[in-house]
Amino acid sequence: MIKRKTTIGLLTVALVGSMLAGCSQNNAENNPTTNTEGTEQTGKGPSGEITVLTQRTDIVDTVFKGYAAEFNKKYPDVKVNFQALSDYEGQITVRMNSDDYGDVLLVPTSIPLADTPEFFEPLGDLAEMSKEYIGLEERAVDGKAYGIPIAVNFSGVLYNKKVFNDAGVTKAPRTTDEFLAALKAIKDKGNAIPLYTNYADSWPLTQWEAALTTVAGNVDYVNVEQPNTDENFVPGKPHYELYKVMYDAAKQGLIEKDPTTTNWEASKADMANGKIGAMVLGSWAIGQVSALAPNKDDIAYMPFPTNASEIIMPLADDYTLGINKNSDNKEAARAWIDWFVKESGYSVEQAGGMSPVIGAPLPETLKQFEGTDVKFELQSPAKPGQEGWVDKIDKDAEIGLWQPEFKKRIIEAAIGNLDESFDDIMKDLNEDWVNSRAKVVGK
Amino acid sequence: MFKNLSYKVQRRLIIFAFSLIPVTLLFTFAYLPVFNMFKYSFTDWNGYSKSYDYVGFENYKTIFTDSKYFSVFKVSLYYFAGSFVQMGLALYFATILSTSVRFKNFFKGVMFFPYLLNGVAIGFIFLFFFRPDGTLDTLLQSVGLGAYTQGWLLNPHIINISLAGASLWRYMGFNFIIFLGAISSIGKDVYEAAEIDGANRWHQFRHIILPSIKSIVQLNLILAISGAISAFDIPYIMTGGSNGSNTFVIQTVTTAFKYNKLGLASAMAVVLLFIVVIVTFLQRLFIKEEK
Amino acid sequence: MYKLKYGTAAVFKYATLLLGAFAALVPIAVVLFASFKTNKEYSTTSPLTLPENWFNFSNYSKAFINGKMLLGFGNTIFIVVMSIIGATLIGAMIAYVLNRFRFRGRNILIVAFLLATLIPSVTTQVATFRIIDSLHLMDTRFAPILLYLGTDIIAVYIFMQFLDSISDSLDESAMLDGASYFTIFWRIILPLLAPAIVTVIIVKGVNIYNDFYTPFLYMPSENLQVLSTALFKFKGPYGSQWEVICAGIMITIIPILIIFLSLQKYIYNGFAQGSVK
Repeated sequence: MIKRKTTIGLLTVALVGSMLAGCSQNNAENNPTTNTEGTEQTGKGPSGEITVLTQRTDIVDTVFKGYAAEFNKKYPDVKVNFQALSDYEGQITVRMNSDDYGDVLLVPTSIPLADTPEFFEPLGDLAEMSKEYIGLEERAVDGKAYGIPIAVNFSGVLYNKKVFNDAGVTKAPRTTDEFLAALKAIKDKGNAIPLYTNYADSWPLTQWEAALTTVAGNVDYVNVEQPNTDENFVPGKPHYELYKVMYDAAKQGLIEKDPTTTNWEASKADMANGKIGAMVLGSWAIGQVSALAPNKDDIAYMPFPTNASEIIMPLADDYTLGINKNSDNKEAARAWIDWFVKESGYSVEQAGGMSPVIGAPLPETLKQFEGTDVKFELQSPAKPGQEGWVDKIDKDAEIGLWQPEFKKRIIEAAIGNLDESFDDIMKDLNEDWVNSRAKVVGK
Repeated sequence: MFKNLSYKVQRRLIIFAFSLIPVTLLFTFAYLPVFNMFKYSFTDWNGYSKSYDYVGFENYKTIFTDSKYFSVFKVSLYYFAGSFVQMGLALYFATILSTSVRFKNFFKGVMFFPYLLNGVAIGFIFLFFFRPDGTLDTLLQSVGLGAYTQGWLLNPHIINISLAGASLWRYMGFNFIIFLGAISSIGKDVYEAAEIDGANRWHQFRHIILPSIKSIVQLNLILAISGAISAFDIPYIMTGGSNGSNTFVIQTVTTAFKYNKLGLASAMAVVLLFIVVIVTFLQRLFIKEEK
Repeated sequence: MYKLKYGTAAVFKYATLLLGAFAALVPIAVVLFASFKTNKEYSTTSPLTLPENWFNFSNYSKAFINGKMLLGFGNTIFIVVMSIIGATLIGAMIAYVLNRFRFRGRNILIVAFLLATLIPSVTTQVATFRIIDSLHLMDTRFAPILLYLGTDIIAVYIFMQFLDSISDSLDESAMLDGASYFTIFWRIILPLLAPAIVTVIIVKGVNIYNDFYTPFLYMPSENLQVLSTALFKFKGPYGSQWEVICAGIMITIIPILIIFLSLQKYIYNGFAQGSVK
């Protein structure tokens, strides 16, 4: 009896489904992929209900609803629900103690690479999928890919060109000294805060770490050289040079007057209106700030200042999308991931980066670098057998490369709130690094 | 005879029946988690994996050999001091508002008002309160105290006072309403007798009100002090523990969720619990002896 | 002489009350003012400047509709009402037993309740989560309700304080009439605890109403959102429009303020309420 009911139910769903698919075919005549696949999938396409977790509380009720509607044109039998988590990393790891953490979710950065298969479904063969996507290595274990990036970002400094021009800086500074001199000029001009740290919101400080490759001038540094060195925070090394910029800017009064009461949302508007010169942020922020600017062309992007011979703008994954190992609707979940990455347009329009799909058109924001010597490159993955080492050492040492704590300490020291020098902090971090590296590598 | 026996049975029955649900809840949602926390404190669990290893007393050794874990307790002293002021104010306002006062309802509502606000509102309000040229600075300037304006969260010597002040502002209403409720349980006849004896307000407070609500005051004191030791939400919302406002609980949360060391964090929580229990115990001893 | 002294005391009393009221209200006034300002007005005026138009309710309608506050209200009311009824009953029951009977384990029980309050709950959240999950209560309204039901010591103490002032002779005379303990509790004790119950309702109710962490973690589904999570989510899309968020904050404050104001007359009205001797 129950069985018959289900069959009838399925039949109805399939029927309604094919009708809807028929409709969408007519509506989407200009999109050949939707057309062919739509016909193919009719009646036997994935079905069921999936829950998609996202960190974008700001657009979950608007843009994401639109995505679901678009997706349903192609896969009418899949019902998509969204859950937006505002403190994504904090909440998701607690929820991963149960089986209920959605069907499709962003692979939390706090989950070490080696533990990924414990929670996520393999999406396919790494070598095979690499023909189609870039950036899979960050979530690949034993030759299998577990996550596809929702976007590929590049990292550097977001700045207001007009503020720089008004202070007499017409060319984007390239070296550390030029950068600090430019900030100084803006301060002397007196109309804007040269460099805004967003200290109070904490997370913007973590964006500095992404510039490590630019400072190193070498795509191997982050994953290949770093885990094999005991001199990670010593003078002359990338980490030291990178955060020296932060320290010097703060020390010379080139940052906001009271970092402890900053406000992220307000800072975007302030930069758009020329009250802030520069902020160290990923490419995703370009769109958000220029949308608020009276003149969009004022908002520009430059590589992080470096003394290296080559200027490399590192490409790095935004979050990657994966499938819950315990999902009941893996097929539907997979359909969502493929559609989201390939067709939603999220990576460029909402994430402000570029699409991970090989051959996809490059975003507008990259155009300003045409004809310059700035290179865009992916960081090389860790050596086989050393995957996840950097993260392991970092966590064990409680350094927090991607956490705000030691950046805050640097700023506090620079403005005279702490009794330690920049070198003291770096020495401390390096000691922790060396001790934990011995532990991790020794294992 | 029969009746007595019946009440005896009834007595057992009602003790059992009336404690069953509360005790079950208490054990499931308060003690079972603590028991598990004890267990985790001897492991290297990261907080989500299905497997972990037992590491013996390793985590406790880490805590007791690194001074950075204990140095944050001095921040608690600010909240500790703040909680006494908070108690005093709450008792004062509760006492005078239980005598005849004009606009009593208005004042009562207003005193309790801050407690009605949620965390989002608190974060917002105090960001604007403490920022340069914010509410506090504007106020000081308007009454001619402009010279005292400060980087309220910027100055490392002031920040904890500012935060303890915000905490006091938020929670004073809670103690106030509880004291008010407790004072209202005191019989009117007691006061009448006292008034005939010619006792003044202070004597009324000292000899009637305070002794009658002693257990509630004591309890609030215990809660306030243990709250000071485990201060968390105001500094977490306002500063995330930066600029010298870090507390032990913020540090525990950081260890657990940013560095994925739930085992170590559990050990920290166990240590904290022990400290709180010892302080509470000492406090009770102290109060009893004073009597 | 006496009159003069009384005068200064009164002045002092009212001065402190006014000062206290002022300190309590000023920070919130900023939110109230901001909620009536336009976006431009908000960014150009000082926080303590009065809004130009006190009838500018556009922020309120934006917050109410786009924040789906109505849905939040529904869920919040359900959870608050269920938890408060449960918590009050359970609290009164255990307090009655602890206050009226001397039995073995009584002191241990009191200490157990006290000790439980001393545990900072943030530190046990993972363990608690696993328990709720193993009870299959994830993503239901009963997860937070059950967590809120757990009796807290403050409720038990308030009830015990009131029970002290309810004379034993009342119980005894009822017993002479042949009333059972249950009847005594239900018919005599509980009604007399009314002022204490109101205090507990207010204190506990506010706590549940404002709690953001529990519903956020245990009820992630969109249709289960409560007011506090609605407000928090609201911060995302309206992050740069603080005047709208302020309106959202006011919307969440108003209902609880009304309830508080309508209940407060029961808790303070004089010294007579509690005791019957």
